[in-house]
Amino acid sequence: MDQARLSARHFLGSVTALRVATLIVLFLAWEAVAASGWLFEGVVPSSFKIGAALWDLLTSGAFYSNIELTLGEAAISVVLGAGAGIAVGLALGRSRFAGTAFEPYLHYLAPTPKIVFLPILLVLFGIGPGSKIAMGTLSCFFPMALSVASGVRQVDPVLLRVGHSFNLGRVAMIRKIYLPALVPPIATGLKLGLGVAIIGCLLAEIKMSNRGLGFLIMQYYSQFRIPYMYAALIVAFAVAALGNALIARFVRLPGR
Amino acid sequence: MSPAAASALVVDGVTKRFTTPDGALTALEDVSFAVRPGEFLALIGPSGCGKSTLFNIIGGLTGGFEGQVRVDGAPIDGAHRAIGMVFQEESTFPWRTTLDNVAFPLEVAGMGKTERYARAKNLIKLVGLDGFENRYPAELSGGMRQRTALARTLAAEPRILLMDEPFAALDEQTRLLLGDRLLQIQQALKQTTLLITHSIAEAVQLADRVVVMTYRPGRVKRVFDIDLPRPRNSEIVSSAAFGHYVAQIWNDLREEAAKGLDESEAIARRTGQH
Repeated sequence: MDQARLSARHFLGSVTALRVATLIVLFLAWEAVAASGWLFEGVVPSSFKIGAALWDLLTSGAFYSNIELTLGEAAISVVLGAGAGIAVGLALGRSRFAGTAFEPYLHYLAPTPKIVFLPILLVLFGIGPGSKIAMGTLSCFFPMALSVASGVRQVDPVLLRVGHSFNLGRVAMIRKIYLPALVPPIATGLKLGLGVAIIGCLLAEIKMSNRGLGFLIMQYYSQFRIPYMYAALIVAFAVAALGNALIARFVRLPGR
Repeated sequence: MSPAAASALVVDGVTKRFTTPDGALTALEDVSFAVRPGEFLALIGPSGCGKSTLFNIIGGLTGGFEGQVRVDGAPIDGAHRAIGMVFQEESTFPWRTTLDNVAFPLEVAGMGKTERYARAKNLIKLVGLDGFENRYPAELSGGMRQRTALARTLAAEPRILLMDEPFAALDEQTRLLLGDRLLQIQQALKQTTLLITHSIAEAVQLADRVVVMTYRPGRVKRVFDIDLPRPRNSEIVSSAAFGHYVAQIWNDLREEAAKGLDESEAIARRTGQH
């Protein structure tokens, strides 16, 4: 084995060691604070208590119906929000007129916290999953629309000319040329959109709801069952991370 | 039989004007020529003679011109099934394998998988890419990608193969060898071909006739018959007759190329003074 590869392996080994050490230090610090009694009892519970609460949650059936609800809301949000985002992005990207006219609105609305729309959504869709899906959809729509609109403008013009030279109609142009050429921006939009869709659904649940993971977190908070609150937070975090990993894995880019 | 009816493609009095910020610009003026069935015609001109504009007009991608383009006697309007275009730029679909790139026009025409793959495989063999069916364009060389694009265009079985400097981005040696390949294909299919190029050697190596264009506005300056034996290959470039044709064409083209050079230098000087 040559020197460069040896040192590369050494480097990776050091990085892993540092990561593990950081986790251990954080864990010990957490335990020290929990044991010290400096903070109100229960604000920083021992990680063993959190672990026990997590185990308790994961072995109780009722917990899963809440996770399923939140995941279902997020999934529907992504389908609706991403679908609408792709359609609007295509329309804005393909027409210079529409793009110039409407895209500034998208740019201003995209970074606005969508939570300000929640009261309207609650009035429109009620306290149940409807308003959560609406929040998630709204959150997912903007990154997808912006990503696709700018992606359309970067489609190699010669590929469009090839399509025209083969006499492709509008639908065939979109199906056979635009959409495949847009796989990278759509993947980016999905990645960003999935994250914010989960955030949107959780936020809406935390604010006002009667079921779901966000509702559970707030319920544990109001009952001051802090280890359970942390356990539910950990699950929410894991769910979001898993979703992103799945998207990164399944959206492959052939030939690129 | 009138000469027009005996032609596969007729370009008849085509004039194209553009409006630019500096005023009206005539890119092409009264361009007329005809391509006979099975003929290999090369169209050569200096940069700025409107070659690419003419390519887009004949292919039906550019409208708003005066005159007519006729295929088998019928005027065409827009992209036409009878004309297959090969572009100068990289034009293979990066997300499709060689096989799926070549099968593309058959796929959009609704042909079944088995049949279109069988046809695509034949064309892939014809352009010498067998063994690379399942590679993506990023895994091929520039010359291989251009051959993929050529096979894709041929898959639609166009009456007329229309090419815009398809080898311009490749090195000289690859160009000569791909020229040989193109000649073989053209002769095997008896493919009526119109090649637009700026390379005199390429035009003489490949064509039955060479149309020389003037510098802006682009007009037909002269048409040369290339009376070199067929089947031909790139060895022809070392023959005396080849050299003679190149010299003759250069003699005509030189004046036009010089005008183009003068004008672009004048523009550079003007903009430099601002």
